[in-house]
Amino acid sequence: MPSSMACTRLAAWTVAAVLLQILGLYLFMFAFFPVRPALSGLSGPESFLMPTCGSADIPERWNLPPHELRAMYKGMSRLPPFFDRLILMVVDGLPAEFILGKGETTATKIMADAMPYTHSLLSSGKALGYHALAATPTVTMPRLKAIVSGIVGGFLDVAFNFNTQEMLDDNLVDQFYHCGQKMVMLGDETWIRLFPGRFIRQDGVSSFYVKDTVEVDFNVSRHLESELAAKDWDLLILHYLGLDHVGHIGGRNSILMAPKLKEMDDVIRAAHTHAILQQNVDKRTLLVVVSDHGMTDNGNHGGSSYEETDSVALFVGLQPKSTDFKLQAYRTINQVDIAPTLAILFGLPIPKNSVGLLIREVVDQMTDVQRLRALEINSFQLLRLLQSYIPDVLCEDLCVGLNNAHNLGISPSTGSVKENFCHLFSNAVNFHNSWKLLNESEILNGDLPSITVDAYYEFLGAASDWLSTAATSNPATMLLAGISIMVFSCAIILGLLVRMLKEHRQKLYPSHGTVFNCSWNKDEAFVFLAILIHVFSLGSSSLVEEEQYTWHFLTSTLYLIFLFMRIQSFVGFSPKATMIVRGDNHSTQLPFCFSLSSLCKILKGTSFVCKDHQSLSFCSILSVLICMRVLRGWHQGGVNWIHLPDISKSLEEAGTSVIKTFRIASLVFLISLGFLALRSAKSRKVYLGVLVISHFMSFFLISLHILGYQNHSLLESSYDLSSFLLLYGSLILTLMISLLSPWFSPSCRQNISWETKFQMSSPTDERVVNYFLHSIRDPIYIIGVTYTSSWCLLQLFLQQPINAAPVLMLFIQILVSTIYFSHEESQYKPWVEVSALYFIGMTGHFGLGNSNTLATIDVAGAFNGIFGQSTVLAGIMMLIITYASPLLYLLSLVLYISLKTRKYLLGPKSVPLTCLLREMLVFPCLVPLALNSISLTSFTIILFAMRNHLFIWSVFSPKYLYVCAATVCVYVGLLVVAATISYICAVVFYKRRIIGPQAIADDT
Amino acid sequence: MNGGSTPAGRAVAVHFVCVVALAAGGWISRHVCSSGLVSEPARVLRLLVVIESPVVIIAYSLVRSDKERTSFLKAVGRGFLGLPLGALLNAFGAIVLGAPFWIEYLKRTINWSLLMSLFTFVPAVCVFGYSRKDWLRILALAKMARVVDYMVSLPAHGAVIGAWFGAWPMPLDWERPWQEWPICVTYGAVLGYVVGVLASLSFILCQKVHKKED
Repeated sequence: MPSSMACTRLAAWTVAAVLLQILGLYLFMFAFFPVRPALSGLSGPESFLMPTCGSADIPERWNLPPHELRAMYKGMSRLPPFFDRLILMVVDGLPAEFILGKGETTATKIMADAMPYTHSLLSSGKALGYHALAATPTVTMPRLKAIVSGIVGGFLDVAFNFNTQEMLDDNLVDQFYHCGQKMVMLGDETWIRLFPGRFIRQDGVSSFYVKDTVEVDFNVSRHLESELAAKDWDLLILHYLGLDHVGHIGGRNSILMAPKLKEMDDVIRAAHTHAILQQNVDKRTLLVVVSDHGMTDNGNHGGSSYEETDSVALFVGLQPKSTDFKLQAYRTINQVDIAPTLAILFGLPIPKNSVGLLIREVVDQMTDVQRLRALEINSFQLLRLLQSYIPDVLCEDLCVGLNNAHNLGISPSTGSVKENFCHLFSNAVNFHNSWKLLNESEILNGDLPSITVDAYYEFLGAASDWLSTAATSNPATMLLAGISIMVFSCAIILGLLVRMLKEHRQKLYPSHGTVFNCSWNKDEAFVFLAILIHVFSLGSSSLVEEEQYTWHFLTSTLYLIFLFMRIQSFVGFSPKATMIVRGDNHSTQLPFCFSLSSLCKILKGTSFVCKDHQSLSFCSILSVLICMRVLRGWHQGGVNWIHLPDISKSLEEAGTSVIKTFRIASLVFLISLGFLALRSAKSRKVYLGVLVISHFMSFFLISLHILGYQNHSLLESSYDLSSFLLLYGSLILTLMISLLSPWFSPSCRQNISWETKFQMSSPTDERVVNYFLHSIRDPIYIIGVTYTSSWCLLQLFLQQPINAAPVLMLFIQILVSTIYFSHEESQYKPWVEVSALYFIGMTGHFGLGNSNTLATIDVAGAFNGIFGQSTVLAGIMMLIITYASPLLYLLSLVLYISLKTRKYLLGPKSVPLTCLLREMLVFPCLVPLALNSISLTSFTIILFAMRNHLFIWSVFSPKYLYVCAATVCVYVGLLVVAATISYICAVVFYKRRIIGPQAIADDT
Repeated sequence: MNGGSTPAGRAVAVHFVCVVALAAGGWISRHVCSSGLVSEPARVLRLLVVIESPVVIIAYSLVRSDKERTSFLKAVGRGFLGLPLGALLNAFGAIVLGAPFWIEYLKRTINWSLLMSLFTFVPAVCVFGYSRKDWLRILALAKMARVVDYMVSLPAHGAVIGAWFGAWPMPLDWERPWQEWPICVTYGAVLGYVVGVLASLSFILCQKVHKKED
């Protein structure tokens, strides 16, 4: 064939495409989800000192008692605390626009009228108001973290910290706690989850019931009077959820909004009059009113639009110098600036990972000495953080710059980021030093303090910008580069696939030559349509959330089309008619597919009325369809309808004994199906016996495990590792034995005697070919059955107890589909068949209760079967449990290849090994790769296009993690398949060379 | 069998009557019983089936393919027998594709599948009976020569494909009442049926024009 491609070249192209895909994926992931280096631990006294070149920081001194620690801070910082008590009032979801207006315009009349007291505070200069720009994702928990720690978090931080509730980063609440300050928390219970045990009094309200706008706030305000009167706290946190709930119900312009704002205004009034105006001298109180995020016109939040990120920050209780505040428009700060400002105001170290800078107007109220010192401390902290990004930022250049006072007024360096920071910092430090000198010699210089402040802010602003963009920005060029590389690799894979399809078609229709008609069958057209529909469905957030419906609908439609085609050929007179139409000249010459026929015999024995292959294929399609429907009903899945009843819920209500019965029954069915499948192999009896025994061992171990399983054993961690070890051992043993099968392939005599049943007179050549056909097909078959059944046994062991029957049904589906496709009358193209297996795998993935939210990952199960606390092992276990179904279909491709190995692949002449491998592997490997790369590439593009979408972090990004994990599964699975087949073929060829064809001919 | 046994005029009349009956059912349910498909799907579907079934069976029995051997009454009887049988097939398809199986939806599923049977299976049974050759032809949508072939197969395929596409809005989170099973599926099926009828009419008229030219 002229256009046929050599095996090695094909493999090289495929591997190159896969490597390109990995590269593109890496680029995209790296740019889209940047990993932020974070400093661990709490910052202590060292934060008041200049960071040193190496990492020779002062060791932490947490063993100091709180009051000594506070005294030390006071001494080292040379800044007295400006306040003693802080009231942090968080109004969930309050957009700054409601209070401060937008840009130059003031707040609307309704809003201004609703908050008279706040506006009087602002206009009289008693309060400082800011637009505080919140980072994405604009949901409560990450934003609270940003307020108290100054951290700009990336998505992966959110995704991988979904399990750890307690806040571990350095933050203000912990700093207060370690200084022995007493804290009281009223409001959203997120605080209690973030900081367990830190509060002396707490009243958490749940934000679960969104329809309630009154009770949530009443539960906070009822304590207000007594708490404001109490003298024992140093930090009072009030978190009001009602306004966010109002927004969720009625949007920004809800009629409930104005009364709710009035309520908030009353709280501010109460706090201000009781705690600040009536204060005694030794308890200076600061009231800070912040919101965690804004809201869209519909009242939603989570995205990155201006309406959502525009949160508010009010500082009440400062004494501003200038009184003409109402004249200027309100400035925009970053939400992360709140944390360092509060830390300086209360004489605490700035949290380590804060990227914020001190708010200028607050700093301006201090004396010159104080504000320069405050800015210096802020610079030290940011420099330490910069050090974690650029390790040598502080070394040589800076030290030189510090010692060299002549650097004053040096031209701005145009070099690297590092040099720039160095320059800015040394500039500021030099100004500061010269100011100190002048100050000591009492030469008053009116300009120098403000010049120094400006120099500091230049450095701080640059560092803060760089740090926060380094953490969350996604550089478009890198994203686009990643996407284009992925598109290119996808195009390579698709091109290879199309070329192989053409070759395949040419083989089937040799008479047509290159001009073949492109008429598509229903199934092919539908698979194509299904891929398109799936790709488009990924663009809709609700279809991503409910992807299980999409896959089930598409897969069962595909099988209904198979059924329809079967009915069609049944109604049409004989299958021969269709075959002639399709010109399938190979299948007519085929000997009876041996494994199939014997399996059919067995199935016939077990099933009720199966007189011929026609009805058998009906039954197989029907059983796949029914299994799929039951799987669909097993877990409701998704997000919106997860509360509806399903089989798993009713089984869990029925109790442990019912679930146990189901597990045992599935196990017995599964193992007996495996035995039936193995029985039709034609290997030596002794070898098969050993294999069956090793299978039985695993069966025995698992049944022991299931019988001993108690529902509450999870709590007591009574999973003894020995049972896990034994099971893994026995499964590995089974695999090892099955991998030996090519060495124990059927003896020639046995084979050929069997063959003669079908072809009474066959020439020697023919017999030799038949011999090799069987000696290749049989080991592949055995290994395929072992792979699938062992995998299912492992899953029965690892999956949640409720998933036992779904695993069995998946096994049945895969087994029946493979056998059905290997049917002689099967009219489908190989790529359709492999796609159908892929579809079943994806449907089963959701059938096992998975979804596209990270919440359904069975984290506890992943830690059960491993030794120690290895994160890598736990990750692998998580992948095995979550991707049980896609990996099962990939492993079943071995079985599929064995059943599809036909005589024409071998040919009368001895074919080279590579050619044979190509024929066997080309579709089973290329089709899953192509399907996966289509979904991966298109979803990457969708993610890029949706990067400003409301649900980008809540729906699309988790889904992207799933897609990436699925890609890893496809690579691993196909690697296993290709390696297995190559190994078997190599062994068989080696044996053929040893024995020689003549020996086989003589043997008869 | 004579190919052009069914005159085009009669075919148009059959389609017209069927669509009018459907429209009448919809009108009656809205204005007489004052219940929409969205509020009471089971009841409206039942009403549609009751109105549509005699019309479809009688109309298609009149254009049965082998008039020599099959009497009108026999064709009508076949139609009434085919109605539950086709409903069974349609219900099977719907449930396999994910239609809810629990009890409160059972009535809706039954009525919906009866209506689908009227769109798909009943006309074919009335017209062709047990003729294997005809069934193969209309199942494959191939080699359709006669007017009745178009009349039976195009609306049926249209209804099935329309119902399939009609199911797509169901998982969306718009929280509209019509996203319930089987309301939007029914809308899709009716729409597809009407499109199929129009396609069939245009095919028939084209054929007629061609014949005249010949």
